[in-house]
Amino acid sequence: MDNRSVSIVTKVFIYLVMSVFAVLSIYPIFWLLLQSFKTNQVYLTTNKLSFPAEWFFGNYEFVWVRGGFSTFFSNSVIYAVITVVLVVLLSNMAGFAFAKIRYKITPLLHGLFVVGILLTIQSILIPLFLMVNAVGLYNTRLGVLIPYIGLGLPMGVYLCTDFMKGIHDELLEAARIDGAGFLKIFARIVFPMCAPVSVTLAIITFTATWNEFILMNLMTAGDKYKAIPAAVGRFAGTLGSDYGKLFTSLSISLIPILIFYLIFRNQITKGVAAGSVKG
Amino acid sequence: MTIKGEKRLSYMVLALPAVIIYLAVVAFPTIFSVLLSLTNYNGGPIFGNSDIQFVGFKSYIWMFTEPTGNFYTSLLNNMYIVGVSVFGQIPLGFAMAYILSRKLIKTGTRFFQSMIFLPYVISPIIIGVLFKAFIMGPHSVYMEIVRTFNPDAVFTLNTRPMIPVLLVILWMFTGFYMIIFLANMQRIDPAIIEAARIDGAKEGRILYHIILPAMTGVIITCAILAISGSLRTFDLIYAMTSGGPAGQTRVLSLYMYQSAFQGSANYPLANAISTVMVLISVILIVVTRRVGRIFGGKEE
Repeated sequence: MDNRSVSIVTKVFIYLVMSVFAVLSIYPIFWLLLQSFKTNQVYLTTNKLSFPAEWFFGNYEFVWVRGGFSTFFSNSVIYAVITVVLVVLLSNMAGFAFAKIRYKITPLLHGLFVVGILLTIQSILIPLFLMVNAVGLYNTRLGVLIPYIGLGLPMGVYLCTDFMKGIHDELLEAARIDGAGFLKIFARIVFPMCAPVSVTLAIITFTATWNEFILMNLMTAGDKYKAIPAAVGRFAGTLGSDYGKLFTSLSISLIPILIFYLIFRNQITKGVAAGSVKG
Repeated sequence: MTIKGEKRLSYMVLALPAVIIYLAVVAFPTIFSVLLSLTNYNGGPIFGNSDIQFVGFKSYIWMFTEPTGNFYTSLLNNMYIVGVSVFGQIPLGFAMAYILSRKLIKTGTRFFQSMIFLPYVISPIIIGVLFKAFIMGPHSVYMEIVRTFNPDAVFTLNTRPMIPVLLVILWMFTGFYMIIFLANMQRIDPAIIEAARIDGAKEGRILYHIILPAMTGVIITCAILAISGSLRTFDLIYAMTSGGPAGQTRVLSLYMYQSAFQGSANYPLANAISTVMVLISVILIVVTRRVGRIFGGKEE
């Protein structure tokens, strides 16, 4: 596209405005990472906007070892990986059934999932809490994982069904004529073909699970089964007065998702746009 | 096995796991929540508890009429959040998406897009704690800046505590709306815009006569997302203010949570708040489907 209709002055102005927004967006995060290398004493006595004069790594050691963040980190990984794998698999399975096998009940079932996309989890928190307690899953990994999977399914089923509707029926019919059952067709042909939507779904689900707080906070007691966000919530209360360690606990929580974002930023934005536009 | 039997079995094997988990985790609790709000259940065992009685709309009447007006304060805060989206994030996001999609600037569009969207992927609880240190309290950056202009400034509690919360929400979600607009603007057929340019249309006319009309459905969808997003707001405020001071920054979800799980539990009230939230969600879903039907073609 040529730019004849845009003058130089306008262009400079646009660059300026966009740069201001970009800097505003990342500055607080940059600031946080910098301050995590100061001791509390240094943070309180020096300019809050300054770079650390000496780079202090003691906060990281403290938070990771004594603060228990190594446990929270591995819990976060466990929750995220299991949730992602199961949401992707179950959504693909249901999506295939809804898009390609089809029964009279399909519109009803599919509709139920679509309705779930706009539902807020906060509004079902109390019954979920009571149910998890009633079946004896309070303060267990399963008590967190099952709700996570259930909450990831509406978007997953919606995206997968949509994607599979685009696969040509002729392909499946050819396989049927060769005598392949639906399960085999799904496993051998359709599931591999759905890799693009599976990647998108995996990324959305990973981000959502990695950042989830309220359910985790409610369903677990103590530190053993908590993941990073729930730990940060508690940590902020007890360490609120030690800024150096507080900022470090936040930085440790941020760094993995920042790296993830740097690698997958294009897929993340694509996934968010795909998931939210139709609702 | 017959072909028909194989088909049915496959359908069940494939669809049932997702359906069962979904019904158990999302659908059943939704109904359960509404039913609970009509009883006097307030903790303890729920199944086989003979003390649980049906009390009708008692909890709702109490919620609407109790003297502190906590429900209305929370609802109003939810509306402020919707307001920030509709009057802040959506126009800003639209403008930025327009700039990026029309390539009014040549280099750096990817970079700007990535930077502005970044806050969205960070856990709101982390952002809440971060901004509590960044803009609230005596040791904040905000106070540091105030002190450079007035060395004697002393930290005082904000008289309008929702303002910092709303600013952070603006910061977090503008990129989200930008991405949605960007994705949809890129679907507009470039040939239409090119034809208008050949006919001598200026940039302003292209925006007004081609891009804006094509985005009507998306703008409405964004407004709906803003409402559902405001209902979801919890972590950020929980971490920044815990709803304080004196409940002034509470939103419905936080009011519900604190009624049920903090201090002396009041499950009937919490369930009534939940049901109001479910109701708003259901209305939104109905509206969304309508919007989808009217503007469907443009959003595909």
